[in-house]
Amino acid sequence: MTARICSENIYMGVAMIRAVIQTLMGVIGAIGFSILFNVRGRKLAAAAGGAAVAWIVYLCAQSMQGDKVVSLLCATVTVGLLSEILARLIKAPVTILLVPMLIPLFPGGDLFYATSNIVGGRGEEGAMYLDLVIKEACAIAFGIILVTCLVQVILKIWHHFFGTVHGL
Amino acid sequence: MDDPKHVLAAILDAGEVMLTSGAEVSRVENTIGYMAAAYGFTKVDVFTIIYSIVVTVQDADGNIETQTRRIENRDTNMRKVELINSLSRRVSRERIPLEEFKKEVEEIRAQKGYPGWMILLIYGIVAGAFSVFFGGGIGDAAAACVGGLALRMVILAGNRLRIQNIILVMICSGVAGMIAVLMVRLGIGKSLDMIIIGDIMMLIPGLALTTSLRDMIRGDLISGLLGLCEAVIRALAIAVGLALVLWRFG
Repeated sequence: MTARICSENIYMGVAMIRAVIQTLMGVIGAIGFSILFNVRGRKLAAAAGGAAVAWIVYLCAQSMQGDKVVSLLCATVTVGLLSEILARLIKAPVTILLVPMLIPLFPGGDLFYATSNIVGGRGEEGAMYLDLVIKEACAIAFGIILVTCLVQVILKIWHHFFGTVHGL
Repeated sequence: MDDPKHVLAAILDAGEVMLTSGAEVSRVENTIGYMAAAYGFTKVDVFTIIYSIVVTVQDADGNIETQTRRIENRDTNMRKVELINSLSRRVSRERIPLEEFKKEVEEIRAQKGYPGWMILLIYGIVAGAFSVFFGGGIGDAAAACVGGLALRMVILAGNRLRIQNIILVMICSGVAGMIAVLMVRLGIGKSLDMIIIGDIMMLIPGLALTTSLRDMIRGDLISGLLGLCEAVIRALAIAVGLALVLWRFG
């Protein structure tokens, strides 16, 4: 009994360390992409923080209900809202914060597995991964659309009642 | 007043710098509108898609002038977008002389981004980081890092030779695959998958997907569709480039 709890603890610990390393790597990726877009200063920090949030939300959502596609949607919506808020706080275009934050979520891995399985003649796995890539891309797309629509509506209502504020 | 032809050409230069630096279409249209109004044109019609800008202006004397620009290469340089944006704000406030305006636009156009060695380094580091992100070990990260550096070299060479973007992506993903195969044969890195995935992440069309969807939702269907097509075709190009290598060595 004790042995089992012990091994479970170790398992949990390893999973945690892996999650932390993964998040860290995602953040490095996000900062790298921001630099490639020639973003500077505190916008870099915003993009890095957002990427960490994206991956943490994804991992939490996945451990709660296990579905990759739904988890991606949750993460995309979260960072979508985050980027809209941050962009207005630090006066930057939304896309330039949003894209680096989303980078760790893009299904590059599954795109590779789809290709390699199809080329390797493992049609069934290939089709499964292809299906997954399309669903994942759609989940991200749907998340972006959802947030953009929501923000548009909120801004229209805001402008109606409080007048136009420059920068919003 | 300055010759409207030259004023409009200068304004279009500014718009061109914005669009080639990766600004959203709606932002380019608005900025051109503000600048044209600031230089005394009474009516301004701007139509922009990601490949072209068309502007027709009318001045107070009723003279009409139309000019177009074809946009060939798009890049992402947010600093330039911001600088043109603040220049347009200044023009609206204090109508600076045309010569000075032209000079400033040229200065912004010539702006260098981060230095080349740093971009190269970033390609290496990010590719390595994503390799670990997807479950690779230290050796895989090192191999992906080499692949990332090679990708940057290929992209630079491709841009110098003016190779079409989609074909360049295909070549890049093929090169990434071949370097991964080479690295595994040399014993640097164990997992071919992790190395290639790290490199592929550098080619993923994240910006095209995000901006095109946002363009579409804001009612700019043409630019949105063009961008979405670009994103899908780029993803396919990555797969095709990889397939060619994996089919031979996989």
